[in-house]
Amino acid sequence: MKQATTTSAPVAIVGFGTAGVNAAIALRNSGYEGVIRVFSNIETLPYSPILTSYYAGGEKSYDECFPWSYDEIAELNLDVVEDGPVTKLDPADHVISTANGTYEYSKCIVATGATPMCWGFPGVDNDDYQPLVLRSMDDAERLKTALENPSCKRLLVSGASMVALKTLEAGLNHNLECTLVGINPHVLDFNALPEAAIRFEKGLRAKGVTLKLGQKIESVIRTDEGLAVTFSTGETGVYDEISVAHGMKSNIDFIEPGSLEVDRALVVDEFMRTSDPDVYAAGDVAQGTELISGEKRIVGIWKNAALQGACAGQAIACELSGTEVPESCKLPGSISTNTIAVNGTLFISAGTMDVTENRTVEVRESEDMTVVYIFEETQRGERRLVGFNITCDHDEPGGRAYDIGAMLTLRIEAGCR
Amino acid sequence: MGLLQCADTYRTFSGQCTECGHCTGACESLIAANMTLGDIAKSMLAAERGAHDTDEVRTRIAQNQQLIQAVRGCFFCTSCKNTCFAHNDVCDLIYHARIDFQNLGLIEREAWSSVLVDQEWDIFTAYRAIHGIGYADLTRHVQNDHHEAQHDCDVAFFPGCSLAAYGPELTREIFEAVDGLCDKATMIDHCCGSSLKSAGFFDRAEALCENNAAEIAQSGAKTLVCVCPGCANDMKVALARKGVEVEVESLASYLGKRGFTPKHPMPEGTLCLSKSCQDRDGTYLRETCAVLGIDPDTPSIFHGCCGAGGAVSAFKPERQAQQADSKLSFAPDGATVVTMCPTCTYTYAYRLMSAPRNVVNKHYTELMFDNQFDWNLVFAQLGGMWYGEYGAWLASVFA
Repeated sequence: MKQATTTSAPVAIVGFGTAGVNAAIALRNSGYEGVIRVFSNIETLPYSPILTSYYAGGEKSYDECFPWSYDEIAELNLDVVEDGPVTKLDPADHVISTANGTYEYSKCIVATGATPMCWGFPGVDNDDYQPLVLRSMDDAERLKTALENPSCKRLLVSGASMVALKTLEAGLNHNLECTLVGINPHVLDFNALPEAAIRFEKGLRAKGVTLKLGQKIESVIRTDEGLAVTFSTGETGVYDEISVAHGMKSNIDFIEPGSLEVDRALVVDEFMRTSDPDVYAAGDVAQGTELISGEKRIVGIWKNAALQGACAGQAIACELSGTEVPESCKLPGSISTNTIAVNGTLFISAGTMDVTENRTVEVRESEDMTVVYIFEETQRGERRLVGFNITCDHDEPGGRAYDIGAMLTLRIEAGCR
Repeated sequence: MGLLQCADTYRTFSGQCTECGHCTGACESLIAANMTLGDIAKSMLAAERGAHDTDEVRTRIAQNQQLIQAVRGCFFCTSCKNTCFAHNDVCDLIYHARIDFQNLGLIEREAWSSVLVDQEWDIFTAYRAIHGIGYADLTRHVQNDHHEAQHDCDVAFFPGCSLAAYGPELTREIFEAVDGLCDKATMIDHCCGSSLKSAGFFDRAEALCENNAAEIAQSGAKTLVCVCPGCANDMKVALARKGVEVEVESLASYLGKRGFTPKHPMPEGTLCLSKSCQDRDGTYLRETCAVLGIDPDTPSIFHGCCGAGGAVSAFKPERQAQQADSKLSFAPDGATVVTMCPTCTYTYAYRLMSAPRNVVNKHYTELMFDNQFDWNLVFAQLGGMWYGEYGAWLASVFA
């Protein structure tokens, strides 16, 4: 039952991506009729970070990267603050500061996302070259422009994560000569066990990608031929552009140290509440429960951001209306799930890839697919699935690989309950 | 409430959809509609936005053939959800869209008049009545000519509509086995209401399941044994909602755990398992393989809907046949197609009658028990009952 609610100070949403939008939707769906004040440092509608690589690769138009229309956002009746990024959140006084003003709030949802980092990239000697990164629409715009430049023929991607591989795909879509360098022995860092990664690597090589695994960029200098790279193995290569995907950092610099519990991000409970009962966090800034380990971890995926945002919004609406937050609102945690297809080679994973003492790995190979299962022996002597990888040589929507992936994901989730 | 009953669901769903478009390629219906799942939610909201009354919403939706295709053409197979990188819950979305379609009068009566399974007469009860199929002697928790009401049953057996109607001897043989493995079993031969949900009568489907739950509670049973994964899913939810503490177990699991083994050897040649799309996490498939004594990784398994889901046949009859064909085409010549859900068995049998293939179509219980479905008889009786002495009555009941 919805209850109309208002409160003197607005509910603030800091950051307006997936988590922020879903928080706003949930607030309204749950009957909150007060002011929702949104702080966003982007001038466009909220975009989908998942689609940025498709835009850079020419598979999606610019407009297609924005999942919500002006009408849909307008319907949420938001008060959007347009005077610069948030510089400080003061939980004690319930005040948010920007460069140009201060704003009170009753409840605040921090949903500021993450920023790609170039940790370990040595930079270019005597040059201000900034490597390409991929997260925001601005990043995608820059990447697209670079890849479409007729003088760009050779792309080096540093990193072997999902973002790196999607960048690689964008390069392949522009018919560039692509090289990937990764510090680990295999691609799909932390998401794949070797058996699945090897099949994926085979698919990449078949598409003409040069893989330089187990090494890193040691130095870069600009020459007349391009960016001359020396790798840690001593090998060298020359590239026109370098993209770096070495990880993400949660955007929490505006949080005063000690004002909220921070680990790698803001630590939250099952209602997305931080250590301050009036500050919530969702998305890439939130460290909620990872169901398999039971530990607080960032699960930086779209679905998690959406569910966490919705959870925070509903919980706040209930609290402000004086009603008990229902059990159904609770988000007990999540598991990591990833799906990536690079020019037809498909990889799906879920759960953990930590092969600890009480876990066993089983590999099933078929003509077109490798499935890796990670089972855990429980204290009751039962065997539960805690992780899997699927690598399939073809990406067929609605195909067997997707069906098996969904089935195994559900099985892992069921085992966590 | 606004003009659409389920607007909140559409807003929630549209928040969770990236609009990446992967779902579209996974589904013939979405391809035909050229829509993503997010588009469905957004189109429903767009129809409501600025409309003055429900007539205007109805007109707007009726003019949107893409939207109608996407909502009515859904089998609830979750192929799109499986392909969705975020695994967004399509069934929840489409069920709600069907509710609004029903409220707005956008689902024609002939699409659901014969499957109102919470009424006295539906296609299954009519078939059973006309052909003298009943289980009063086995419904021990209900007082009837055979016995007093008994409330000390420990197992309730739920065969589901298709098995109870079209395989009476098989149903009885299974009941006997279930009964023999416990102190006392009883029969719940009602429907789980999936056809009501497909038609947009969600509340009625839930009420029907809750009635079933009340009967199960009345019987004293602590375990509900379901043949079909769809029935099991719906009954689990209803029992939890009603606070009835009964464990829901698949028939395969129930029999397997108690040492029951198939009465005859598995057929020779290739076994192709048709996973029920209601068996979302494959638990039922694994349990079925276990009781049949086969390794779940050995036989061919085909996923997706048999063609019966979502009452699509009432919207576009040819789609059921196409879907059944697409699934059966995975089975090589001479193979035995083994279904988990009796309605899948029925659907394949119906398709094979008009488009024969060199495959054998069996429900897994047929591989375990002596009695078999006689589809020639069933289809002859189903067709014949619309003529002769019951024809006029049926026509008037289902008009």
